Amino acid sequence: MTEELMEKLEVKTVFTIPLFGGIRVTESVVVTWIVMAALILFAIIMTRGLKTRGISKRQAFLEWMVTKLDGMVGGMVGGKAKVFSEYLITVLLFIGLANIVGIFGLKSPTKDMSVTIALALMSIVLVEASGIIFLGFKRAMHKFIEPTPVVLPINILEVVTKPLSLCMRLFGNVVGAFVIMALLEICVPIGIPMVFSLYFDFFDGLLQAYVFVFLTGLYLTEAVE
Amino acid sequence: MSTTLIAIGAGIAVLAAVGAGIGIGIATGKAMEAIARQPEAESKISKNLILGCALAEATAIYGFVIALLIIIML
Repeated sequence: MTEELMEKLEVKTVFTIPLFGGIRVTESVVVTWIVMAALILFAIIMTRGLKTRGISKRQAFLEWMVTKLDGMVGGMVGGKAKVFSEYLITVLLFIGLANIVGIFGLKSPTKDMSVTIALALMSIVLVEASGIIFLGFKRAMHKFIEPTPVVLPINILEVVTKPLSLCMRLFGNVVGAFVIMALLEICVPIGIPMVFSLYFDFFDGLLQAYVFVFLTGLYLTEAVE
Repeated sequence: MSTTLIAIGAGIAVLAAVGAGIGIGIATGKAMEAIARQPEAESKISKNLILGCALAEATAIYGFVIALLIIIML
């Protein structure tokens, strides 16, 4: 049973690009491409032939969706950080779809730690860079010794712990759900896994995407104020 | 012998789940009280509750990740 589980958890190499001594392209990268292609295709199909009068059902649905997403993410980032809401919606859609892609028979790319590390690095680089761009280098650096210089080590440590917790939270949740689902499927093959899949794949996957975006938004708001 | 110790170590790491359980329990209890007091604010309260639970759950998840790493690495 342990071997079976370990084999499922392992990230396999799909093919190798014969360049610079062979670049390994793993399963998670390929699934990431599929997720990206699905999102881009969806966006292209939905935004074709938009009108201002006499809108179609498709456009009404699109407008409803954009309004909902904008309202959801717009509530997380306040003040000057509003410009990042489009980025956050994109990340939300990407992580959300990447988490629930497991029900289509593909392996979730967020099950691979390198994917979540990349996402967390994107967040922290954006947070620190936006602090410098919005406030200027001096002001952004001064934030490290606010309110007193005593907190300097804690603030420096936070630059590391913020992305670490973002990355580990997403990775741990997806792997945890995956392990529990795999164990259930070994014990009870029919029926019960479907009910649990509803919670673990759908609810938990979307919730974690929401939490990731919420925390990034919180850090962004804090960085540009 | 060593596999037994690895299993015990992984088990101890998962003890982190105790804290998350207590935390989520307290949060849910308080949310119930808040809803009982102000039923009209239910949607706002439950939204924040779910978020808080997801954040509190993270500690348990860290324990789980460590346990998994212990089993896989050793």
